[in-house]
Amino acid sequence: MRLNFRNAAACFVSLGLFFVVPILRAQERQPAKTRASAIQVMNIRSDAIKLPTEFQVSLYENLIDQLEKRAVFQRVYRDGDRNASTAADLVTLQCTVVKFNKGSETMRQVTTVAGATSMTLRCQFTDKAGNSLLVRDITGKVRFFGGNLKATYDFAKKAVSAAEENFSSVAARS
Amino acid sequence: MISTMKVVVMAAALLFFAPLMCVSQGQQAQTEMQAVQLIGLGGVKQNTKGQLTVINGTLRFIHAKGNVDVAATSIEDVVTGKDSQRVIDGTFGTVASIAAPYGSGSALGLFRKKVDILTIQYRDADGGLHGAIFTMPSGRAEMLKKELIAQGAHTTIPMQADSNKTTPAPKEQKQ
Repeated sequence: MRLNFRNAAACFVSLGLFFVVPILRAQERQPAKTRASAIQVMNIRSDAIKLPTEFQVSLYENLIDQLEKRAVFQRVYRDGDRNASTAADLVTLQCTVVKFNKGSETMRQVTTVAGATSMTLRCQFTDKAGNSLLVRDITGKVRFFGGNLKATYDFAKKAVSAAEENFSSVAARS
Repeated sequence: MISTMKVVVMAAALLFFAPLMCVSQGQQAQTEMQAVQLIGLGGVKQNTKGQLTVINGTLRFIHAKGNVDVAATSIEDVVTGKDSQRVIDGTFGTVASIAAPYGSGSALGLFRKKVDILTIQYRDADGGLHGAIFTMPSGRAEMLKKELIAQGAHTTIPMQADSNKTTPAPKEQKQ
């Protein structure tokens, strides 16, 4: 009986190690986050692709809203804010539209499979000197339910997650 | 003598009260309309219902928890949904989409919401760029845009009537 209990305990510990060790290793492998206490979000650029103004504004405002809510950075500055120049370790975020499919809310309501709205933006994070820190293409989409502008919310959430993975307002881990 | 005094008093009264009457008439002319603020106004939650009006050179959004004012002169761009549709789809595309929304004819008319979109972009005191989107009953956004421009707001897309205006070509003089 005692032997069985010992066997069970050993199995439990080895199983625990089997699951925990890879997680710890993965955490060790994560790249060090860049220290940045402030971010300035520039207006969305859509030079090559024509984007309706309401989408442009919605992308910009959702991005700022999500950055403030998730508190990845201590300060979030808007495009043109004069106070940004005084901020130490400032990161600038410039998003450019590379792909846009307006879709249709009505089509989604009727067919539930067609009419998806999607947009892909190239997000470039640069430091004060203009050096590129991170470039990533992020897609926001609304497939089944919701208005077209919901795709902008989806994009903002993903963009802020990318920022969270790569930047930190506290001291960088080495 | 008394009649002369009366005339002078009445003239003086008219002189003082006439400008006040003009101001009150001007304020009455301001349109107030139901609107929903989708996103962008500082301190206002998304999808907040309220009244939108242009008064004394400011765009005022009145909602249950207070007012938000945006000076018309600080507005760098005011664009209606129809404006951006016109720029992206062209005039033909706009007409086609109204005639047969989403290529479906009138069958889907029940789903099509009759709302106008008004988008503004403005700068705060620090120079920071803000954007706000409002929806309102159909046909009102153009009116509001016109009022805002009259009060000093700017736009990147001129009003449709203005853009359609073409200067008539000078007639050739018959010899």
